[in-house]
Amino acid sequence: MNDTTVNSTICPRCDAENVRVLTTSPVPGRWTMYVCNTCIYSWRSTEPSSATDPLAYPAEFKIDPADIPSIPAIPTVPPRRR
Amino acid sequence: MAYADLREFLETLDRNGQLLAYSEPVNPEPDMSAAARATANLTDRGPALLFDNINGYEPGKGRVALNTVGSWPNHALMLGLDKDTSVKDQFFEFAGRWDAFPGPVERRDDAPWQEVTLTEGIDLFQLLPLFRLNSYDVGSYIDKAAVISRDPDDPDNFGKQNVGIYRIQVKDKDRLGIQPLAAHDIGLHLQRAEERGENLPVAIALGNEPVITTVAGMPLAYDQSEYEMAAAIQGAPYRITKAPVTGLDVPWGSEVVIEGEIIAGEREIEGPFGEFTGHYSGARRQPVIKIHRVMHRRNPIFEHLYLGMPWTEMDYTLALNTSVLLYRQLKAEFPEVAAVNAMYTQGLLGIISVKQRFGGFAKAVGMRAMTVPHGLAYCKVIILVDEDVDPFNLAQVMWALSVHYHPLHDTVTIPNLSVLALDPSSDPAGITHKVVLDATTPIAPEERGHYSQVVGNPEGTADWENIIKGLLK
Ligand SMILES: [Zn+2]
Repeated sequence: MNDTTVNSTICPRCDAENVRVLTTSPVPGRWTMYVCNTCIYSWRSTEPSSATDPLAYPAEFKIDPADIPSIPAIPTVPPRRR
Repeated sequence: MAYADLREFLETLDRNGQLLAYSEPVNPEPDMSAAARATANLTDRGPALLFDNINGYEPGKGRVALNTVGSWPNHALMLGLDKDTSVKDQFFEFAGRWDAFPGPVERRDDAPWQEVTLTEGIDLFQLLPLFRLNSYDVGSYIDKAAVISRDPDDPDNFGKQNVGIYRIQVKDKDRLGIQPLAAHDIGLHLQRAEERGENLPVAIALGNEPVITTVAGMPLAYDQSEYEMAAAIQGAPYRITKAPVTGLDVPWGSEVVIEGEIIAGEREIEGPFGEFTGHYSGARRQPVIKIHRVMHRRNPIFEHLYLGMPWTEMDYTLALNTSVLLYRQLKAEFPEVAAVNAMYTQGLLGIISVKQRFGGFAKAVGMRAMTVPHGLAYCKVIILVDEDVDPFNLAQVMWALSVHYHPLHDTVTIPNLSVLALDPSSDPAGITHKVVLDATTPIAPEERGHYSQVVGNPEGTADWENIIKGLLK
């Protein structure tokens, strides 16, 4: 159960090259977590490739970064009182 | 009967053989989710799970509790009842305690979560073994914490202070996403804060005794206090302590208390997340919480809830508060209602047992269930059974459906009603037909079928039930 070399540059979900280290294991060297700054998907280096590898991530859960701004806001932001 | 905190409840579970401590090494994903799923799959009498050897955390320090109320024995123990108490008896006990609302609160200023305070360098992942629950959740979630907020237009109103459970995506070390739907009390708080151009202060209390968790899932009226309801349900004053920065009242016994604020006007992509319908809910842009302060006991236990296709722990924690709520609302107008079992996917399907006053009466009761407040989002399928059919005994309900229900006469379909948008069958999302299936015995003036020669219980059956129950102990 050691940290292995996994994808740390491309988001498995939205394919953006906008990934940074989220955190590392309290016991050093066990795992690293990454997060995508574009779609906020996060993963851990010890997870299976379906969670960490852009090619193995299932198509029905993929997202296009261009679609993110038009995703509905819930709840909508109300107008300010005057 | 009241538990001071999660640890005392876990001790009680342990004494009753309802806690499984697992100290072999596990990975954060997928081991703990799989274990919780497996427990729910195997039995409705299963134990809570406690993991203390999680890869990446010091053995004994990083601890995760799952499925604490995820079975009928654990639910009974939550109520201080014998673990073998039947579901029907738990229902009537819960309904009786509800009448004691509002119960008293006990204010204390010496909470155990004051042991350690973090205001800088906050990293929730170091403190708690957070992990992905289902394979295609967008990340790690907190889904069993009590979230406390106040009405910004009436901040001193204790009753309007809300304690609720909302799904929370851990987006960064000190940044969270939250789903405060407009229909929820916290949604109203946020709307008012944003209208004022202010952030909404929130406190997030993790790792609690089970009653406040159960009550936080109750659809109470806007100005009803969850703490006063928790006091009624546990039959003892509910202990609360003020969080230092926000002044919000939080449970005295929590493992961890997070203070922060929902940022006004901000919406950011959140989800997908595997939901209680057994389906993922897609991505939405939702509000964000910035964390300012974390207070915790030393070596806190991360109490978590596996969520997915029913049944999971959430179905137990919501079972009776949903059922009793509907029962009380229906009973107020129709005293003939004997019991309500609305524990299927939070009441999307419900079973009502009722003594018919005249032909067609049960159908009216079924349609009324759809128009009480909870029914506007649930009660898609309502099954009516006679008052002597136990709605919690599905074998009896299926018997009634199979021999009393006539598809031509006993089906009432009402088109295009409202339902929660998470119902994957709704089309468009949030709109559905609803149906009443009347499996009561027809009575005058509705005379049809051949129901006059029922095979009753042999004399003395009730006495023998008690004898045999005693012998099985
Ligand atoms: Zn991404």
